[in-house]
Amino acid sequence: MTDVEFVIAAYAVILGGIGLYAARLARRLRIARVTSLQIRRAADAAPLAPDDRR
Amino acid sequence: MKTRALGFVALAAVIAAAIYGLFVVPADLNQGDAQRIMYVHVASAWLAYASFGVTALAGIGYLWRRDLRFDAVALAGAEVGVMFTAFAIWGGMMWGKPVWGVYWQWEDPRLTTTALLLALYVGYLLLRRLPDDPARRAARAAAVDIPIVHFSVLWWRGLHQGPTIGDPSKILNPSAPLLFVAALMAMVAAFTLVWWYLMIRRYELARVEWQIEEHGRLGRITAARRAVAAATSEEPAG
Repeated sequence: MTDVEFVIAAYAVILGGIGLYAARLARRLRIARVTSLQIRRAADAAPLAPDDRR
Repeated sequence: MKTRALGFVALAAVIAAAIYGLFVVPADLNQGDAQRIMYVHVASAWLAYASFGVTALAGIGYLWRRDLRFDAVALAGAEVGVMFTAFAIWGGMMWGKPVWGVYWQWEDPRLTTTALLLALYVGYLLLRRLPDDPARRAARAAAVDIPIVHFSVLWWRGLHQGPTIGDPSKILNPSAPLLFVAALMAMVAAFTLVWWYLMIRRYELARVEWQIEEHGRLGRITAARRAVAAATSEEPAG
């Protein structure tokens, strides 16, 4: 490999890796927020148990 | 919205710093084009240190205050730090082969301790998936290991060179030309913005995941109470 190829390999993996991690993080955050909202809505909609009403 | 704007600014800064480092700054007289790898390698290494420093401080903060927000910061630092450590090692290997003639040198203390640091934090992240809380152990390990990594290059004589910029005696008269130092500083600044953005996002994710976990736990308790209440009401009176 030439010096330039080593430079390309270094920059591609590092900058590409950061980009992939940022995109994956954004996706995980979006899914987690939706899940959290669904759980909260389901909890709000669920009927109360007898001892919860007291 | 502010975090998203930070993300765009960070992206623009990285692109600008990469263009400057790859196309504007001339190749080094001795190392040739391989020297350009230093900009991303050193920036990654510094931010890996910063991440683990934050993790260690947040771990100590959690032990002191027992506030789960510290724990979320510790997790964010560990995950982002593992990523930057892996990239620092990769960049070092890509630079090492054309300049040193080898990808890796086990006799070099900084390489070896950095690899150990990576293994330590990968283990830390794996342990966090278990119900047992490893924060105390990881905080201690980080507080001990980070100074070892940084000072190992000074304590032992390895293949790895001494600091070019971190040495206080070289601040006003750095051993590298100013054009190279500017390229390095630009990349460090750009990576710091990226790091800040990723830390905020990972912290937010940790908080939401904690809320989901808490909802799940409360849901199980409520379901158990309802089951008990239903069974009690079905029992015949008397």
